[in-house]
Amino acid sequence: MARQALLLIALAFVPAIGEAIYFRDRVSWQTPVPASELVTVDLARGWGTNAIWVDARTDEEFQRDHIPGATLLNEDRWNELLPQFLAQWSPDKKVVVYCSTESCNLALEVARRLRNEAQLKDVFVLQGGWEEWLKTKE
Amino acid sequence: MKTRILTFILSILWCAMARAELKWEQTTLELHPAIEDKDAVGHFKYQNTGDKPVRFKSVRTSCGCTVAQTQKDEVPAGEKGEITATFHIGERTGTQIKTVNVETDNPGQAVTVLTLKAVIPQLLEIKPTFVYWQADDAPQAKTISVTAAKDSPVTQIKVTSSNPEFQTKVEKVRKGEFKIDIQPKQTSKPMSATLTIQPENSPKMFNATASVMAVAAAKPMWTPPLMRQAVAPPPGTSPTPASPQP
Repeated sequence: MARQALLLIALAFVPAIGEAIYFRDRVSWQTPVPASELVTVDLARGWGTNAIWVDARTDEEFQRDHIPGATLLNEDRWNELLPQFLAQWSPDKKVVVYCSTESCNLALEVARRLRNEAQLKDVFVLQGGWEEWLKTKE
Repeated sequence: MKTRILTFILSILWCAMARAELKWEQTTLELHPAIEDKDAVGHFKYQNTGDKPVRFKSVRTSCGCTVAQTQKDEVPAGEKGEITATFHIGERTGTQIKTVNVETDNPGQAVTVLTLKAVIPQLLEIKPTFVYWQADDAPQAKTISVTAAKDSPVTQIKVTSSNPEFQTKVEKVRKGEFKIDIQPKQTSKPMSATLTIQPENSPKMFNATASVMAVAAAKPMWTPPLMRQAVAPPPGTSPTPASPQP
């Protein structure tokens, strides 16, 4: 009797396991960003003037509002905006890239290109993005 | 025992079948736009396999660079249709993944995530796109590698510097591979240049940046605050604590 019950319970998990495997890329707790490349608002703020804030959103979103002192760098105008960003960068700076909402990957893409193409070190993505900044704004 | 297991499996299958109404041909599309394409377009086809109409409540994209359009707001039972997702490539590189969240009034299938994966070909791959010298570094040449896309007809590249203080020399390493040696004349003052890299017989232009950094401001030495010392006040006065030293 107990063995039958255990067997039925195990069978009940089969659809759930199947869906977990099939939809593994959409599991919310799986972040495509390694933890070493993420930074919290508090930590980034603590870097003070050693941090360069980079806004990866669209021109319109940037014009509407942005983190004070942030530089716009998006992929729509990458070639035009990159030199302006590089003019502010120096090797002792830490770059913090942000965009809207946690699910947005614009910041990931900009950070990836700064690391791979421009070969900059110390490039981070802001955990929680623009919304997290707004929540913790002083 | 066997009957119970069979009943259990059949009930799971029945539940799965009853839930699906809007059936998608594919929810993930991989696109390979051509080098000269400005947009990558994906067609997500569906069919309403249920017996009731399905209404689209919202269709939202993960990025302003992607626009999604439905052909109709409501899909009658048995009808087919498609959602067209247009991804504007802009100046993006590499593999781009954009999603379209489709919300319907079907409670069993409220939100479907459609994924558009675009592999963007690059006529030239430039690495690194930024080279720099610190102030007073030796003004030695640094190298930028340029690799042409496979099967591309690029046999030569032309490099122009926006600042004559940076000298450039282009060398062909092998078919489709080049190296650009760039060297500043001096590193005693900050300056920068934009290198424009153009494949022969192509109007497309690519950029790299070269900079001599400014001297970083000297940071003040950090010293720990001195411990406050209890000092015995002179007779007739109240004790005044020593102020901490910066």
